[in-house]
Amino acid sequence: MPNPYVPKLTTIKSIKAENKVNDIKTFELVFKKEEDLKEFNYIPGQFAELSLLGKGECPIGIASSPTEEGSIKFTIKKMGTVTTAFHECEKGQVVGVRGPLGNGWPVEDMKGKNIVIIGGGFAFSTLRSLTEYLLDDKNRKNYGDITVIYGNRDSGEVLYKEDLERWQKRDDIQVVLTIDREEEGWNGKVGFVAPIVKEVAPSSDNAVALVCGPPIMIKTTIAVLEELKFKDEQILNSLEMRMKCGIGKCGRCNIGDKYVCVDGPVFSLAELKQMPNEY
Amino acid sequence: MSERILKKEDINKFYEAASKTYKFYGPVREKGNIIFKEISNPEDLVLDYFNSKIPPKEIVLPRTETLFEYEMKGNDIIINDDVVPDEKVLLFGIRPCDAYSFTLLETFFKEGKYQDDLFIKRRKNTTLIGIGCNEPKSTCFCTSVNTHPHDKENVDVFLTDLKDKYLVIPISEKGKDLVKDLNWLEKATEKDLEKALKLSETAELSIKTKLDLKDLHEFLMKNFDSELWKESSQSCIGCGTCAFLCPTCSCFDVIDEEDKYNNRGRRVRVWDTCQFCIYTLHTSGHNPRPGRIQRFRNRILHKFSYYPIKQGLIGCVGCGRCIQYCPVNNDLRKIINKFNELKNKEKEEMVVA
Amino acid sequence: MSNIQKENEEIERFIREVSRDLFKENKVDLIIGYGKGSIPFNTTPIFISEENDIDKLIWNNFCYINLSRYLLPSLNDFIRENKDKNLKIGVISKGCTARSIIQLIIENQIKPENVVIIGMECNGILNRKKIEKEFGDLEITDILINGDNIIVKGDKFEKELAFNDYLSELCKACKIRAPPISSKVSDIIVGKSQEVSSIEEDDFSDISEFESKSSEEKWAHISELLKDCTRCYACREACPFCYCNLCFIDQNLPTWFSKTSNLGEIVIFHMIRALHVAGRCVACGACSNACPMGIDLTIITRKLEKIVKERFDFTAGLDLDTLPPMMTFKMDDKEEFMLEED
Repeated sequence: MPNPYVPKLTTIKSIKAENKVNDIKTFELVFKKEEDLKEFNYIPGQFAELSLLGKGECPIGIASSPTEEGSIKFTIKKMGTVTTAFHECEKGQVVGVRGPLGNGWPVEDMKGKNIVIIGGGFAFSTLRSLTEYLLDDKNRKNYGDITVIYGNRDSGEVLYKEDLERWQKRDDIQVVLTIDREEEGWNGKVGFVAPIVKEVAPSSDNAVALVCGPPIMIKTTIAVLEELKFKDEQILNSLEMRMKCGIGKCGRCNIGDKYVCVDGPVFSLAELKQMPNEY
Repeated sequence: MSERILKKEDINKFYEAASKTYKFYGPVREKGNIIFKEISNPEDLVLDYFNSKIPPKEIVLPRTETLFEYEMKGNDIIINDDVVPDEKVLLFGIRPCDAYSFTLLETFFKEGKYQDDLFIKRRKNTTLIGIGCNEPKSTCFCTSVNTHPHDKENVDVFLTDLKDKYLVIPISEKGKDLVKDLNWLEKATEKDLEKALKLSETAELSIKTKLDLKDLHEFLMKNFDSELWKESSQSCIGCGTCAFLCPTCSCFDVIDEEDKYNNRGRRVRVWDTCQFCIYTLHTSGHNPRPGRIQRFRNRILHKFSYYPIKQGLIGCVGCGRCIQYCPVNNDLRKIINKFNELKNKEKEEMVVA
Repeated sequence: MSNIQKENEEIERFIREVSRDLFKENKVDLIIGYGKGSIPFNTTPIFISEENDIDKLIWNNFCYINLSRYLLPSLNDFIRENKDKNLKIGVISKGCTARSIIQLIIENQIKPENVVIIGMECNGILNRKKIEKEFGDLEITDILINGDNIIVKGDKFEKELAFNDYLSELCKACKIRAPPISSKVSDIIVGKSQEVSSIEEDDFSDISEFESKSSEEKWAHISELLKDCTRCYACREACPFCYCNLCFIDQNLPTWFSKTSNLGEIVIFHMIRALHVAGRCVACGACSNACPMGIDLTIITRKLEKIVKERFDFTAGLDLDTLPPMMTFKMDDKEEFMLEED
């Protein structure tokens, strides 16, 4: 039986700076062994534990979609010991990957529905994975209307600019970008995410809303969605927690009797309301 | 009849025989404390003891355990994940409550999509020789949590202390093979069996602490925000003694250690507890359990609510260590009783309404 | 012949009387004291907010917790949140507890107007682990004091031990049994106290045996003492001065030390923590009493006190005027460790 704590080895193929202040970068990783890549079957919304051996491990949401073959992408913000060490890495550096972990967005159950994707700031990572997945030729026909609402503090903070541009050119997806304050040269909307969602007013009919972002954004957005008649089962959240093992054994990521790393990180609002308020 | 007798004067002989195949762990006394250690000299074995301070879980879940080691060779990394030794371990003298904890821990580490292979391997390599408790302490409450002082279920061989000898009952296949190999053991008599039964009955009757835990797990969850948590945790200093000495607590922290000069390192896990303030601290500074009340509540709920909800069993074995060693004497029994009082009060009010 | 039981009863009566008066005169909102434990050798901290509960306060020779620990952080948050109410918290204080409170005031962790030191003259705390060791694993059901002796009872036995033989080492060497009173502190002390000038000189003779050992012997002694440490940090949590928001051992930017049970790492943790509390430690023994493994840190605490006394002529927690040595400097501080050539 394999030791579940041992990471598979990858090397960094490319590093892309995502924001102006350069504290968010997307790392493209390539598995050293062919069979490890074959075994890494994931769905959007899952995460992996990335190791810099000697420095530590951190749980990062997978930013690439399973339809983008050959490599996997992770967007990492420089915040603590391990993430800072990542920002000092260069191409070719060996990175350990354990995963895919977590439950992911329920792409099967979402089939036939209209998808409303609402992201704020740096948390857009796994939503990018989902959007790319939904837009792929193999999958697009299985889903209804797709609306993406993505807010940021300012234009320098907007991630995945090239991907967003590509999506905006398509006619089978509505992309609404917003920043908090007016800026010269900005063509998108201005305002916090919640009022923009109210403005766009996606229909709750046969729809599912996926919300990812800082706590205050989630709170205000959920209030708007409820106004728009979205039921608790129709609103999905991806939670963050301090994690170490990522496989439900070290105990620390629990909310009530659920472990965020195994039973989550995706929970519906209906499930969250049943859980104690410790997140 | 498979029951045998092991005379206490033959312990050395037993040790000699067993240590040919197994690493022999048993209770020894160090600085006044009983601790389960590897024995090289059978004279060190203590046969007259109550229980160890540190629970024997440290044999299957060491305080510091290497998860894997690695070596850097240029830009390549070689990982060695074969870190659990292949040795067989015999744990002599484990009490029924601690043996039950091994079963509970195994259930936890095996459940779900991922299994903790390190623990499972160590557990598989460990043979348990349990000894029933003839004189439980007033802080023991194993009978309230689905086990009892002479519970034979969770061990490979069960011994009953008949003063100058042990009644030996093989339980599992492993145990049956072990006893068969000790073909010099005398057969037990009817009298021995009767005596053992009497001791078991007396021990069970002597348990003074009885906790009513029926349906408490639902009640505790429903009363997550009760003021009673504030009252119960007031004297708690968050030291983590209860967790470190608890046979069923298994939370761990993961640390990387680097030996830059020799281009190698390892990832280890160490015992951790939800009582530490940084247990759930996010890098952003947000802490879902910022205070003593939340952390205290989490531990109690984990044992008496979350574990029962998931496994249908209470996550406590009634060993009483948390009661004996809590530095501020925050007695678990008092807390459970307070919640039971509240539960009964609510029931009464409902009936009246 | 002293009658310790009578002393205990007198102290208990005294602290209840003083506490009752404080409530009657509306001088406190909450009193922290010792209550009856649920098992022998134990007492538990109790928090009294009503006069009716005063009789729950007890005193015996197992009141080993340093109650000043409860003033930080949560009670302090409570005080700050209710700034306009100007809450006052009374603490039943032996000499060491009072010294901790005074030291915490110097360190700006609590304001003098928020605390009342209910002073009593402590007659010593017994070393429970030493008593327990006399009886192996037999369960002790009751402990009584009779004259100069302790009577230890079990289901099938009863034994008398000499009280003085089982007094904690720190209490044997203690010279400050009641809260030390000096000009600025007198406002916050009620009940018993002792003049700072009356405090006997401490000759630290209890550690002279350890000090006379060679380096190798000292290392062997300390290794043997600390090797059972499980890194549970009960010592840190019990100490009133370990109130840092992020302890050095928990830091990871950078990670200073590891958390494993390797002997080197264990010794480093204890030595650094000792350095961090140097000049503040009042040798209350809470750390040793909290340790689940029964590690007795007396040697370290006493040696610290001695070094601070010899180098800086300072004793912690006596008055509000003198800053502790680690919070200030003098031009004539010895610097031989920098100038000495090896």
